Amino acid sequence: MTFLHPLMLWGTAAALIPLLVHLFDRRRPRPHPFAAISFVLRSQKRTASRLKLRRLILYILRTMILLAVPIALARPVLASEAGAARAAHGPAATAIVFDTSLSMRFKDGSTSLFERGREEARDALKDLLPEEPATVLLCGARAEPPPSPIFDRGRLRTMIDEAKPGYQGADVSRCLELAARALEESPIPGKRLVVVSDMTASAFRLDAPPPQVKGPTGELVRPEVVLRDAADGRKVLPNRAVVDLRIEPAQQSGPRAFQITATVRNFSPEPANDVEVALKVDGRVVAKGFLQLAADGTGQKALTYRFEQGGTAFGEVVLQADGLEEDDRRPFVVSVPRELRALVINGEPSSVRYRDEAFFVSAALDAPGSPVQQTVRDVEAGFREKLEDYEVVLLLNAPAPSAEDAKRLTEFVQKGGGLLVSMGDRVDPDAYNKALGDLLPRPLRLVKTSASREEAEGEGKAARLLEIQQDHPVLAPFTGRAREGLMSARFYKYMLLEVDAPRQGKELSQVLATYEDGAPAIAIARRGKGRVLLFTSTVDRDWSDFAIRTSFLPLLQRFLSYLTGGLEEREELRALVGESITLRPADDRRPVAVRAPSGAEVELRKNDDGSLTAGPLQEPGMHLAMDDKGQPIPQLSFAAQLDPTESNLARIDPDVLSSHFGEETVRATARAGERPPVPVWTWLFVLAVAAFFFEGVLLRK
Amino acid sequence: MELLNAQTLARLAGVKLRARAVVEGVLSGLHKSPHQGQSVEFAEHKEYAPGDELRHLDWKAFGKFDKYYVKRFEHETNLRGILVVDGSASMAYGSGPMNKLQVATTLAGALGYLLVRQQDAAGLAVVAGDAVADVPARAAAGHLSTLLDALDRVEARGTTDLFSAADRLAEKVQRRSLIAVFSDLFDDRQDALKRLLQLRARKNDVAIFHVLDPAELSFPFDDPTLFLSMEDERRIEVNPREIKQSYLEEMGQFLASVRAACAEADVDYELVRTDESLDAVLLRFLARREEKRR
Repeated sequence: MTFLHPLMLWGTAAALIPLLVHLFDRRRPRPHPFAAISFVLRSQKRTASRLKLRRLILYILRTMILLAVPIALARPVLASEAGAARAAHGPAATAIVFDTSLSMRFKDGSTSLFERGREEARDALKDLLPEEPATVLLCGARAEPPPSPIFDRGRLRTMIDEAKPGYQGADVSRCLELAARALEESPIPGKRLVVVSDMTASAFRLDAPPPQVKGPTGELVRPEVVLRDAADGRKVLPNRAVVDLRIEPAQQSGPRAFQITATVRNFSPEPANDVEVALKVDGRVVAKGFLQLAADGTGQKALTYRFEQGGTAFGEVVLQADGLEEDDRRPFVVSVPRELRALVINGEPSSVRYRDEAFFVSAALDAPGSPVQQTVRDVEAGFREKLEDYEVVLLLNAPAPSAEDAKRLTEFVQKGGGLLVSMGDRVDPDAYNKALGDLLPRPLRLVKTSASREEAEGEGKAARLLEIQQDHPVLAPFTGRAREGLMSARFYKYMLLEVDAPRQGKELSQVLATYEDGAPAIAIARRGKGRVLLFTSTVDRDWSDFAIRTSFLPLLQRFLSYLTGGLEEREELRALVGESITLRPADDRRPVAVRAPSGAEVELRKNDDGSLTAGPLQEPGMHLAMDDKGQPIPQLSFAAQLDPTESNLARIDPDVLSSHFGEETVRATARAGERPPVPVWTWLFVLAVAAFFFEGVLLRK
Repeated sequence: MELLNAQTLARLAGVKLRARAVVEGVLSGLHKSPHQGQSVEFAEHKEYAPGDELRHLDWKAFGKFDKYYVKRFEHETNLRGILVVDGSASMAYGSGPMNKLQVATTLAGALGYLLVRQQDAAGLAVVAGDAVADVPARAAAGHLSTLLDALDRVEARGTTDLFSAADRLAEKVQRRSLIAVFSDLFDDRQDALKRLLQLRARKNDVAIFHVLDPAELSFPFDDPTLFLSMEDERRIEVNPREIKQSYLEEMGQFLASVRAACAEADVDYELVRTDESLDAVLLRFLARREEKRR
């Protein structure tokens, strides 16, 4: 402790006054003969011990007042021992490495670790000797090499003041390496690295060698490392985070219903009970649940919600807030199926329901949760319908349409309608090729019979699917048992297709599934703004048993979703903060900007194939793709997520860190040793006033 | 009625004048004796009721009216009053114009005046230490002067020993006397008051005039003081402000215990502050006795 005005300390002699008064104040009390002296004696005896204590307290309080005031006037300061030690080592070029990673956003009370770290960084700057040059490295996800050490404290201070915490992790080990390179540019032999961080384990790579700096003569020396802990020595930074979201249609809960399953991780050695998990849609809490999380455990909560309307919907799962709020929410974008109007043209109606060509299709489209509103017509009535009233037309084992109807169908598809064509005995390949040649993914060739139902071993000989394009959105969900259901279907007859030849103005078709002989089972193609899907077998039991397989219903619904453009909109639009995302806009509406949740614009680049790359994404949350009119494009909007590994705030043991950097070079791991001079006089005055107050209270009693 | 205040009374020299002044201020309320004496005067008849003394049945009336009547009498008194004055050294304390002894002797003189004026016998016993100086009880008019002279000569000395004094009084005093005690009751012996009150058990009429100085009741001292005992060598130096609360509690408990003991023994108790009007004290006392007699 040092004193700014040491002469004032002579005033502490006044503290002897109460003692001297006690010793030498022998005023003669007035003698008074008193008849009731027995009562005086008894009272004195009764109160003696209390009075003794009271006198002692009064004596202490008075002495405190008389000590505190002159000491306060002497202006004492608690000088930093570290500062003294530093002076003994001589000046050193200093690099302050300021951790700006996501974990520094952790709030301990009302202050974030980042703000505390900022104070630490400022203090580190303040503690430098005038002859020590310094530089500052903001250690985020993309740390840049810092400038050479300079003496311009104002500039460095501005860098610290303007620093902002990021949303990604930081590699502090790499930052120290960059800082060490910058220190080599200073001619001063002493080198120092000041690390301002929350000391989370993920920020340090202990397998990497500790930083070394080339001295003026070229030899490698270990710089002095000063650790400034923004978390103030806390053992644990407890955190919970939504680490994953799974969004699936919940058809059992009705059309447009989705089940959102949140995976929550508890990064804490203490269990967490009754953690609230809320589902928000359009900023409104629509479902809520509670989770019990074991220590360092994971839990899942499934919340179901039925969206009010089809289209692109935005939502988020929000956890009960903790120290790090950023990872307590996880936004999502979901494409809610719109109400579809489908015209089913039944090529082979029958009064026996199961023989009806459209029987199984109708049942599938009527299933609970199906967004399809179907109209079933025979061929003649079907083509009389106004096609513009429908989004999709299903041509089931129908004879080839007339030229006029074919023209109407073509126009319908070109304008954005969907067309599903399935085969059957009534399909004449030549007539089809003639009428719908430009529309079909591939021209029809002939019907192949793989086996006959009447044969004894016909079932075994029947063709099965061999290869399916599971990376295509239509077939993506068919994994595991669902895939088995699809692959076990038997096809007795199917239509062979011609080879797809490139033609002017026509996109090539795509085969999603083939039979064992390689013949296409499902072929798709875009025609104009619309899509056409060709299923080369029947959708009733005439040519296959596919209609009675468990995979029939979901596959048919996926067919329709694809045909109406509702499938592939969202599949790949998931992105992590720090990464870029590729947007594939439709021709009619191209984004000109992508807006981050804070309102900042994300960098947008055009690719050769017409797609756009947005990023790298700087912040989590909903990113809106904007068109040239400034309107959001929901189909291209997406949610950027935080890397769940950053939510683990486990701290590194200071001793481990010290031994990593070399214990002889690590100077101060505790804040106490690094505190700047602390003014004590204010507290001394407060103490004197308090003592004065209590003395008054005691005297009044 | 104009009452005499303590200052006025203090200006009068001697017990005689002071006692007379007090008595003149008192209404001439003649008390009715609760006791039957030698000369009786018939007052009225009352119809006999079970419990009435048979010896008072008027047989002549029975002969005339064929009904039982009981004769009732009104008696003139021949009361003996013993005025017991505490003459210990502590009675010399006084923070006002009159000390406790002056107040006690004045009150005793006034009461003696009233007794003699009613042809009652009045005697005096002065208690100083274990000594009891006597003036025998007489009803003669000239006895008043002897009584007042004796009171005038009382000096405060020695310690308070009410216990021994009570024993001696018990031996000397005939039954059915009025024993009026004027004292501060500062006797360190726990059972002294009890002993004094036992005189009541011997069918005496006992009244306690508890004479205290206002300073003893309120302890109004501020500066550090060396308190000296008035009866022995005890002394203590205290800061009165520090012990005032405790002193007042002790005094309060003492007064409450005296009151309770008197009430239990059916003894009249009168707290007399030396700064209050003595005729008011006497009036209060007489009024209470009158009420009690009814």
